[in-house]
Amino acid sequence: MSEQTRIEKIKYGLLKTIDVSGFKVFDPVVRLIFGEEPQKQVKDITRFMLMPIVFVCCCLVAWNFIAPRHKTKSGEVPTPAQVWNALTINDTLYDRENEKESDFALSDDQREAKIEEVKTLIETKESESTKLKEELATIEASAKQKKAEALAPLQAEYSELKTTHKEARAKRKIEAESLAEAVTKKKATTEELLTFLRDSSRLKEDEKEKEQIIKDQIAEINNEKPKSLQAAQMASDSAATEVQHLKKRLDYLSSGNRSLKVAKAKDSASSALTELESAKSPAEILAAANTVVKNEERASKIAKQEYPRASTIWFQMWRSLFTVFIGFVLAAVVAIPIGIMCGLNRVAMACLTPIISIFKPVSPVVWLLIFQIVVGAFFPNPETHPFFVFLNSLPIIGRLNANPALIFSACTVAMCALWPALVNTALGVSSVEKDHMNVAKVLRLGLWSRLTKIIIPSSLPLMFAGLRISLGVGWMVLIAAEALSSSEGLGKFVWDEYQNGSSLTFSNILLACFVIGIIGFILDRIMIVLQRAVSFDDGAATV
Amino acid sequence: MSKNTSNRYVEISNLTKAYPNPFGRDIEVVKDFNMILKKGEIVSVIGHSGCGKSTVLTMVAGLNPISAGELAVEGKQISGPGPDRSVVFQSPCLLPWMTTLENVMLGVKQCYPHGTRKQRRQICEHYLNLVGLADSMHKYPREMSGGMQQRVGIARAIALKPQVLLLDEPFGRLDSLTRMDLQDTILEILDREKITTMVITHDVDEAIYMSDRICMMTNGPEATVGQILEVPFARPRVRADVLDHPRYYDFRFALIAFLEKQEHSKDAHIQAVHEKLQQGSEEPVSA
Repeated sequence: MSEQTRIEKIKYGLLKTIDVSGFKVFDPVVRLIFGEEPQKQVKDITRFMLMPIVFVCCCLVAWNFIAPRHKTKSGEVPTPAQVWNALTINDTLYDRENEKESDFALSDDQREAKIEEVKTLIETKESESTKLKEELATIEASAKQKKAEALAPLQAEYSELKTTHKEARAKRKIEAESLAEAVTKKKATTEELLTFLRDSSRLKEDEKEKEQIIKDQIAEINNEKPKSLQAAQMASDSAATEVQHLKKRLDYLSSGNRSLKVAKAKDSASSALTELESAKSPAEILAAANTVVKNEERASKIAKQEYPRASTIWFQMWRSLFTVFIGFVLAAVVAIPIGIMCGLNRVAMACLTPIISIFKPVSPVVWLLIFQIVVGAFFPNPETHPFFVFLNSLPIIGRLNANPALIFSACTVAMCALWPALVNTALGVSSVEKDHMNVAKVLRLGLWSRLTKIIIPSSLPLMFAGLRISLGVGWMVLIAAEALSSSEGLGKFVWDEYQNGSSLTFSNILLACFVIGIIGFILDRIMIVLQRAVSFDDGAATV
Repeated sequence: MSKNTSNRYVEISNLTKAYPNPFGRDIEVVKDFNMILKKGEIVSVIGHSGCGKSTVLTMVAGLNPISAGELAVEGKQISGPGPDRSVVFQSPCLLPWMTTLENVMLGVKQCYPHGTRKQRRQICEHYLNLVGLADSMHKYPREMSGGMQQRVGIARAIALKPQVLLLDEPFGRLDSLTRMDLQDTILEILDREKITTMVITHDVDEAIYMSDRICMMTNGPEATVGQILEVPFARPRVRADVLDHPRYYDFRFALIAFLEKQEHSKDAHIQAVHEKLQQGSEEPVSA
């Protein structure tokens, strides 16, 4: 009996969690697991889970079918598989950056052990790479041969066609000349000559068309790249880049390593010191002393150096998230107090209405430019400005390379995300139930307790609804702002890819599209959960 | 306390509520409402719906500005709302984001600013006990029935130790069983605490059972005190005894007769207006 109630408790706890987090779709799954009305649950699952999944799959299939059929300047539109491939490539890029970073910071025994490890890895990878290269060569040769075989009959046909056409043209030329002669002798009319010439020009067009068809066929075969060749090329390329990466790692473990660089600088400092001791003339002493100081300085500087990470998609993602967070917090900090003020006081509302109505529709691009100028003026020397020095010295945030670009992107986000939160807060505050205000009046609550006990709690749901819209707007604006201002982030990732024009460009842009979309979705979900947690009229408030 | 102030504990004199009318004279919903409450007395105000009972109460509570007239409690002129005149509204008006205890605490904190946390809590618990909610201290309003919510409202009002308790149709939205239950609860508390109380109601039986005097209001506009009926039953009252009392039906009859007369006079008034209109008289009809 108690066992049963315990299971029931778990079940309803799970159901409630699902409900609060806004994943109501999984409700029937949980119910099915606990054996509640299986028939109904199965029906619900098919209707509200399987059907959407099937639909999404259909979309993927359609994408897979349509994409390669549209040729663009930067290649075919990538298929889902290619986008997935781009994801793995970007992921390995990120991993490699991590490896290089840790290599750069290693020292002493660990470094030497790592060198051995990497060396053996290089050996195996190099042999793999050469093997793949050989394979590629054989495949290439066979492909070439196949191509030649396929081309031979076509080319023969083409040359044959060309010669016959040439002959026909020559023949027609002679005929025309003889016809012209006949015209002078009045044996034929000029009309006849003209029709003959018209016909022959039409024939010439036809012949050219025939030639073009074969030419096109030849070109198509020439451009064709068999799947096996493509795969072999990709495999060989990736092996080659892997070897290159390992060599780079070796570099970071040996000559490029931080500890070695520091040691080198220290060495030269100490050798300069011995020189200093043995130096005789004042000029020598001064020179040696200078080298000592310089090398000491260098050593301490290098010791603080961090590995200069190349920006990968995940780095850009974290930076975008950080930027949007700052912008969102800024927006909330400004919007909520002003919104409360507007909701409480009709004069304040009237004062702010013109400002809200004029600035709300302004495009984020304009704000970006304005903030770029304004924020830039605050930080003439961003590298040495205490604010950025502080931000970049923080443990995790420091890795995101905060700079003025981050600040003005965040300001742009804040400026555009401000309005929904402000308007909703004002609405929430001004629509506090009259009964609740009467309670406040009877109890003669002061302004502060009126705010904290009655007005803010009762307007929280609307406030959070506004904040949710704000975050969505902010995320959208941020990507555009980053693309435009080349502030590091997903927007810049997309823009850089567009400018680079490598073979992966299109896939990477689509990948970024999905990453942006999924993050936007997650942010929205978080806001929904928060919104439901503060809604008092919903069962969620107790959880 | 002098005898004078305890006999004239609450003085309502010439209370008037007028709403501005952009196309003529102000509309006086309530006019020259006069009433004097003795200390500890329970007075009900009864009348047809829309006659201005609630307007009178909200004016006494200070939630509705007074157009003319005066209001004094214990000889002191009063204006604006305050915890000295606590109100139980028709709807429970609990703050949904607070538990029962927190809802009561909100007022207690305001009335006992110098009490310690523990003292305040004891006060809250005491009054919640009185209304029978000892087990529901930490429940949220949505987890309770309408009757329980109204009990919290009552506890909140009484915990303020008000000089005057104003009940604005407090049982209007409850079913009749819960209503009787709550009437008994309130009477029990009032008998113990002796708070001067004004009850707005449209229920004849409730008025007789609960109050020492019943003020019958005429129909609006310009509603005012029509008749006052003394209910001399001894306290504490037992419902069965009250119902069995030989004079109970006399009181009931008097009340109903008054209310019916009001209804008729309204009909007669409308009749008169119609007749005048038909005669084509341009003389304005006095409301």
